[in-house]
Amino acid sequence: MNDLELKMKGKVPGPDTGIEIRKSVCAICDPGTQCGLDLYVKDGKIVKVAGTKEAPHSHGTLCSKGAAMRQYVYSPDRIMTPLRRVGERGSGEFEPISWDEALDEIASRLNAIKEEFGPESVMFFSGYAKWARAYLMRFALDFGSPNYMTESSTCATAMVMAQQLTYGAPAAADLKNTSCIVYWSHNPSATKGLNLAGINKKIESGLKMIVVDPRVTDIAQRADVFLQIRPGTDGALALAFGNVIIEEGLYDKGFVENWSVGFEEYRQVTADMTPEKAAGICGVSAADIRAAARMYAEAKPACIHFSAAPVVHHTNGVQNYRAVFCLIALTGNLDIAGGNRMNPPSLVHMPGGFPTREREFTGAQRLSDMPERVGSKRFPVWARLCNEAQACDVPRQIRTGDPYPLKAFFALGLNYRMWPGSQDFIDALCELDVIVDADLILTDSAKYADIVLPACSSAERREIRCWPMGYVQFSQPAIEPVGESKSDVQILSELSKRLGLGDDLLEAGIEACVEWMLEPCGLTVEELNKHPEGMWVPDAKPPAERKYLNGGFRTPSGKVEFVSTLLAEVEGEGFEPVPSYREPVLSPASSPDLADEYPLVLGLGARLPMYQHSRTFRLPWTRSLSYDPHADVNPEDARQAGIEDGSWMRISTPHGEVTVRAHVTRLVRVGDVHMYHDWPQANANDLLSGDYLDPISGFPGYRSSLCKIEPVPAEGKEADND
Amino acid sequence: MTKKTLCFDAQKCVGCYACAVACMDQNDIDVVGDGLMYRHVSHVEEENADEVRIVHVSIACLHCEAAECLDACPSGALRRDIASGAVIVRRELCIGCHACAMACPFGIPRFGRDGTMQKCDACYARTRFGYEPACAEICPTGALSYADVNEAAGSKLSRFGKTLA
Repeated sequence: MNDLELKMKGKVPGPDTGIEIRKSVCAICDPGTQCGLDLYVKDGKIVKVAGTKEAPHSHGTLCSKGAAMRQYVYSPDRIMTPLRRVGERGSGEFEPISWDEALDEIASRLNAIKEEFGPESVMFFSGYAKWARAYLMRFALDFGSPNYMTESSTCATAMVMAQQLTYGAPAAADLKNTSCIVYWSHNPSATKGLNLAGINKKIESGLKMIVVDPRVTDIAQRADVFLQIRPGTDGALALAFGNVIIEEGLYDKGFVENWSVGFEEYRQVTADMTPEKAAGICGVSAADIRAAARMYAEAKPACIHFSAAPVVHHTNGVQNYRAVFCLIALTGNLDIAGGNRMNPPSLVHMPGGFPTREREFTGAQRLSDMPERVGSKRFPVWARLCNEAQACDVPRQIRTGDPYPLKAFFALGLNYRMWPGSQDFIDALCELDVIVDADLILTDSAKYADIVLPACSSAERREIRCWPMGYVQFSQPAIEPVGESKSDVQILSELSKRLGLGDDLLEAGIEACVEWMLEPCGLTVEELNKHPEGMWVPDAKPPAERKYLNGGFRTPSGKVEFVSTLLAEVEGEGFEPVPSYREPVLSPASSPDLADEYPLVLGLGARLPMYQHSRTFRLPWTRSLSYDPHADVNPEDARQAGIEDGSWMRISTPHGEVTVRAHVTRLVRVGDVHMYHDWPQANANDLLSGDYLDPISGFPGYRSSLCKIEPVPAEGKEADND
Repeated sequence: MTKKTLCFDAQKCVGCYACAVACMDQNDIDVVGDGLMYRHVSHVEEENADEVRIVHVSIACLHCEAAECLDACPSGALRRDIASGAVIVRRELCIGCHACAMACPFGIPRFGRDGTMQKCDACYARTRFGYEPACAEICPTGALSYADVNEAAGSKLSRFGKTLA
């Protein structure tokens, strides 16, 4: 091979090979990492993907999902033109139509519904990715509907609510400056591998680490203390931490005295939860609970790294996380360097150390003059704390018309299998007059839409993102959109015009909107355009510590609320103002009769590193690494059920059943089954009913219910694998 | 003289598969048609009395100094790239006899639809021009690196030293 042939083989960029590196950003998972992408482009096509070395958050690395970006962009299932449904809903029979036809038809049908039933009867939903949400919310409110809703009806919001109830706003772990980390149900090797290089270095230089997780994970085995609890018992464990910290006088008395309310009531609840009692509930040793509580309380500073969903995917989820978050205040680690810092978001939920007008851009302030949102009556705490509708209540309101009828669903990305009782969710949507979905590929959910719009990937569009160290990127399209696809914001912008919403800014397009949002920090689109790889924000500064010293906390009392003022106003079980521990609704302890027939605890939602929910299922590269749906089972439970590693088994609940391969492993506790979710042929979320929800947040109790397992003969299974 | 090679540190590996997919992307691997890949990530559960540990391993061709496959190949399809030290296969010369697969102690040589052998070439076509192998370049934890083997060993040794101290 001559040098040029060799360079072509190696995909070496340069004028001789015609391969150019274009900067972009990966949005397959979202948000929090968003690794910088170096897309190797030749003749307008991506030929290779690498990480951007100058990106200060990802340092040129990617995960397996981002590495598969080329197959994600060029999936044979990409939608090439707008489509109009010609067959039954769900049949997948469509005819291609032009953008003009599609947008005109959507506009006339939505405006007709608005006229007859009111704008609130149209729902506006965002699945993944999250970058276009501010624009969609503005669009929905322009239309006059308060029913802007997102997949965050089951992700992250409840974790934020638990913090709002306790100290007013989220407080993220300051990993960089800490001397002790508590990973409370977080598995970074599957979801945030980027952070691990830094954590490994810190472990070598003496970092203390505690991990709470029902499963043995990579990070768990690096921990000083690992607490492998029964799913859904986090609250009992956190109260026992509180018990030890108060009993042994390890709490921050000055902070508690000056900056909290309800300490006495909290103290009484923790006094009742001795480490011995919690040990019995959680299935860990009292000695380990004491060791962990002391380690966290004595290390200065110490932080708790929480996660978006695992702890709040329980019917007692918000209370459990509230009990955890109380520990941050109790130990005086709130809003200090190395503790948990309250840094306001700049863009797309991420703090960047600079002010923006993203919130004003959404128009959220207009909500107060609008009809109540879907879910407001059923989930009053949600309604008080969040700007969105709670989408878990959509099926109920569609069927009852209470408090008003719902007629249309407009979605940027929809996966009906993400909802508990998924089939019922999509059946309810089918009762609507209009369903519109924009997506990259014709998913099983898109097949239910009347009009499908082709959206493009992050490689083909512009989007703005920021990172906590004060870095910002307004990406450029690296390639032309595949087929006739458009960016979600362009779709909203063009549809806004046809609906006659009169929103000049949105109609002017993404550059104008970004310029408007960035006005307070002085950044301009012109400047950002000079740095397609991203740039440091000139005046970004890390937020001050102890911001509560000026103006207190954003709670009703202005202090940390061990006793929640807001919860005290709500009647009913599960709304205790002090974070008391309750069993999950379905557990061996709370429903022993059911547990006779369904003896195992079922956890849905553990992650595999090559999948972000269902987003990379269709890509041959990632799928080849884990082909069949499967669940983790302990060898003892597998033996009792007569199930061998790798064989097929049936998981049944009172609500449904799925057939998956058994992964027999000691990494899970005896008595637990952990199933990986979102598989089309084995939908974990249909094992629960749509009303198995936390009364505070409306979040589904995915991570703890009851099931049984049985072997399934291998015959006939192979045919399912197509 | 120091020479760079692919180094692996199991204590840093979290089994994320980034290396495996980056390799597929770099080499345009057709996992559906050929059904094979060059870099494999496996997970080993180690059981002691009370504790279970999981160790991840990312394995591709080791490019042995004394490569049994090179000696076994009767058709001259395997050769050593002098600049990088990589053992590379010229598939157009491969006769598909599987002698290399029999000789290799590590189970590396694989054969796709056309019957010729395929394996990792340590991205010699990249390293020749100053670029890292795709797998090492992408690794988020530094478990895989393209480094001088003695320097990589030194960093492991100092970590081991700390555990003794």
